[in-house]
Amino acid sequence: MTLFDVVFSGNDTVYGLTESAISDAIAKYGADKAVAFPDTAYSLPCYYAVTGTKVGNLGELKEALGVVKTLMTREQKLNDAFMSGVATALCAEFIEVLKYIDGAVPYEAPCYGHLGDPVIRELGVPLVTGDIPGVAVILGAAPTAEEGVALVKSYQAQGILVTLVGGIIDQCEAQGYKTGANVRVIPLGKDVTSVVHAVSVAIRAALIFGNIQPGDAAGLMEYTMKRVPAFVNAFAPLDAVIVACGAGAIALGFPVITNEETFKVPKSLIVQKDVSKFNATSLEARDIKIKITNIDIPVAFASAFEGEIIRRG
Amino acid sequence: MGNFKLTSVEEFEAATNRLLETGAKVGADAWQFRVKNQTPHCKFGEQGVCCRICSMGPCRITPKAPRGICGCDVHGIVGRNFLRFTAGGSATHSDHGREICHTLHTVAPDGNYKVKDPDKLIRIAKEWGVETEGKNIYDLAHEIAEMALLEYGKPFGTQRFLKRAPEHTQELWAKAEIEPRAIDREVATALHMTHMGCSSKPEALIRQSLRCGLSDGWGGSMCGTEFSDVMFGTPKPLDTEANLGVMKEDYVNIIVHGHDPSLSEMICDYAEDPEMIALAKSVGAKGINVAGVCCTSNEVAMRRGIPMAGNFLQQENVVLTGACEAIVVDVQCIFPALGPLSKCFHTKFITTSPIAQMPDSEFIRFNAETAGENAKLIVRTAVENFKNRKPELVHIPQLKQKATVGYSVEAIVKTLDKVTNSQVDVTGTTKPLIECITSGVLRGAVAMVGCNNPRVRPDSAHIDLMKKLIANDIIVVLSGCSAQAAARAGLMDKEARELCGAGLKRVCELADIPPVLHMGSCVDISRMMILASELAKDSGLNISQLPLVGCAPEWMSEKAVSIGNYVVATGIDTFLGVEPQVTGSSEVVGLLTDGIRDWVEAAYTVEKDIDKLGDLMIQRIEEKRAALGI
Repeated sequence: MTLFDVVFSGNDTVYGLTESAISDAIAKYGADKAVAFPDTAYSLPCYYAVTGTKVGNLGELKEALGVVKTLMTREQKLNDAFMSGVATALCAEFIEVLKYIDGAVPYEAPCYGHLGDPVIRELGVPLVTGDIPGVAVILGAAPTAEEGVALVKSYQAQGILVTLVGGIIDQCEAQGYKTGANVRVIPLGKDVTSVVHAVSVAIRAALIFGNIQPGDAAGLMEYTMKRVPAFVNAFAPLDAVIVACGAGAIALGFPVITNEETFKVPKSLIVQKDVSKFNATSLEARDIKIKITNIDIPVAFASAFEGEIIRRG
Repeated sequence: MGNFKLTSVEEFEAATNRLLETGAKVGADAWQFRVKNQTPHCKFGEQGVCCRICSMGPCRITPKAPRGICGCDVHGIVGRNFLRFTAGGSATHSDHGREICHTLHTVAPDGNYKVKDPDKLIRIAKEWGVETEGKNIYDLAHEIAEMALLEYGKPFGTQRFLKRAPEHTQELWAKAEIEPRAIDREVATALHMTHMGCSSKPEALIRQSLRCGLSDGWGGSMCGTEFSDVMFGTPKPLDTEANLGVMKEDYVNIIVHGHDPSLSEMICDYAEDPEMIALAKSVGAKGINVAGVCCTSNEVAMRRGIPMAGNFLQQENVVLTGACEAIVVDVQCIFPALGPLSKCFHTKFITTSPIAQMPDSEFIRFNAETAGENAKLIVRTAVENFKNRKPELVHIPQLKQKATVGYSVEAIVKTLDKVTNSQVDVTGTTKPLIECITSGVLRGAVAMVGCNNPRVRPDSAHIDLMKKLIANDIIVVLSGCSAQAAARAGLMDKEARELCGAGLKRVCELADIPPVLHMGSCVDISRMMILASELAKDSGLNISQLPLVGCAPEWMSEKAVSIGNYVVATGIDTFLGVEPQVTGSSEVVGLLTDGIRDWVEAAYTVEKDIDKLGDLMIQRIEEKRAALGI
């Protein structure tokens, strides 16, 4: 199978799931039922940024899915793969928003799920000033919990904002590793679709700080490519859905580094078998240059730890 | 993104028409009129069925007269004509290469010519098994020059450079018995075979056509390119400009036209000479402006960023601007029409080579030993001619575009190194390009080369095809007048990436390259053969398996046929927009478009509908991908 065929099949899978999830929701609640993420002025931020259209209820969400379908062209070209990647992200966003119907609280500690606008505004300034030199999206489970945590820690020590999706969250918990927005390690969720909450951050950064007009998809992708220093670390095994999400990330300009032997694309899809080198490989791929002055102290030292709360005991 | 806009073929034509008005004022002739006088062309010649190789003839083949006087049938006649056509082209490139080798033989630390890229010389020496340790670089250059010159006439063995090809390709050549031996020998054998009463079997004639072509691409042209790099530097990416607007009204305009960089490099040197610049100022000019036409232009653009005034069918336009003080030429593709045309203006038409002497020209003999004084005299002659300019005839069309040029194989590999990841990848290979192709980000590559031909609306086929290919995520490498068409249109401006499909656009952004890469002059098509070989070696595939094709949409010269033959014989399917003069023989056509595939795994495709030609290339590329499962 070609790389693009894998992307297309992952996209088809997610689209199928989204379609039935929306139909089920409409059957249960009716088409007028409101859908929204908490604490955001951008409706469904990804869909809004790409199309310029806000979605208020399930009926509109179904219509929006029709729009998403138009992105799912099937020529063997990068543009089609990119658009299928974007379509996959949008489907993920739809699946995620359904979890929030009726003010439900679908995510519980340590997972955050959707991040509200205030969090993004708070992170945005250090992101622009370079105080946060990058955003890592870690997806799946590392070969061992120790390696996973070591990777997270390495980014954290460089001031990089880390978001976690899937097995890596359990690995951090198992190792007793502290996570949370205050220490800039944010577990999003354990389903792969929750990765869209990281995408949502990048996209809202473009809308809030980049003054990108909703609907200007090309401008959006250019902004994220040039200005949002994000990258993805996806652990093996990669299924088609993850690859399709990866295509979305690459479309936004974010390289994907994986330890699975797969197709390679320079600066975009990089196979690094050695997880201990994920950090250096990722930073180089995203052209993130960090000058570290090593202070020889027995604890980690970085701005990421500024919000840390020391509990008694 | 800014205000980037391609210059259209319509704008090219409007500029040409305006220049022809000036021509009409002074009674100048132009190719546009001569084409009319020659139309319709003789059908026998067009089909290749006319034979005049002995004085029993001329013979021509018709249904009533199916054989010539000697009894040769149409297939033999067409085959022989095709082989002679190839031999002409091969001789031309190879003699150019020979001149370069001779020039290399004159290099000296304080001489006219020096070794500018010693590393490349040492690399070639090692390849040829020459001891380099502790040897003076100039002694080494002389030794290599002699060895290279022997490649032209050695009694035994085959071309040294063939070893650069992947093993599989070398095996195919050996099996098909088309490994070129001495370069000149293949031309001589071709002329022997085509003599009356020798070969009239199409298969034998076409086999020799391929071998004669290979002696050019992997012999003469490769010598020309490699040793030009040694003496004048291996090209690196640099910025320049293209189209007639690069000529400057207040400057002495010297146009270098032809092929051999030994001349043009020296002219460029003297145009920067303070004494010459002072002389230019003393005659009322602001300075000296050198611009190029044709392949010599490609050479100096690639190495020095000298602007490119135009390609083959622009050569008369350069004079028609009325602002050309001298058009200095050496060999190949020079219209003899420039003689009479220059007489209508103040322009000096300066011929320099005993190989290409023309009426109505000023002959300033140029050779490697006296290159400095020759070049100085030429520049002085041009500068002193500034005062003879007729201001009322001066009109320079204000069309020009930015171009990034200089993509030698070395430069391409270096560019690819920039997108590797030091944690994962090795450098110094073509692997990043292969990864882009196998993942599908790029669908493939097209090497577009060749001339202009009045049979095709000038430059339109080059430009339309390039636009179509890059929009389909196919990267294009260029040489010759094809490259100049691209540069003049603006396709070598990095901003032209906006015209690409998402895949090629992303590649251009990450590698910081234009979507079409200028690889040099026509002898530099040997660079493309090396690139194809490197891609094959780095990917573990055969050259014929790579999603890579060649194309000459507006080809014209015998050289183009020789090139086509070596490109096909290297395993690269080649697409032509102009029919070769072989249509009179179904057997020759059958061999060229299909039969030779059994020998070299590639063949020609001819399609005069340019849009269809593009579709066919894309289709072939996709077929190759499908066969590889990528």
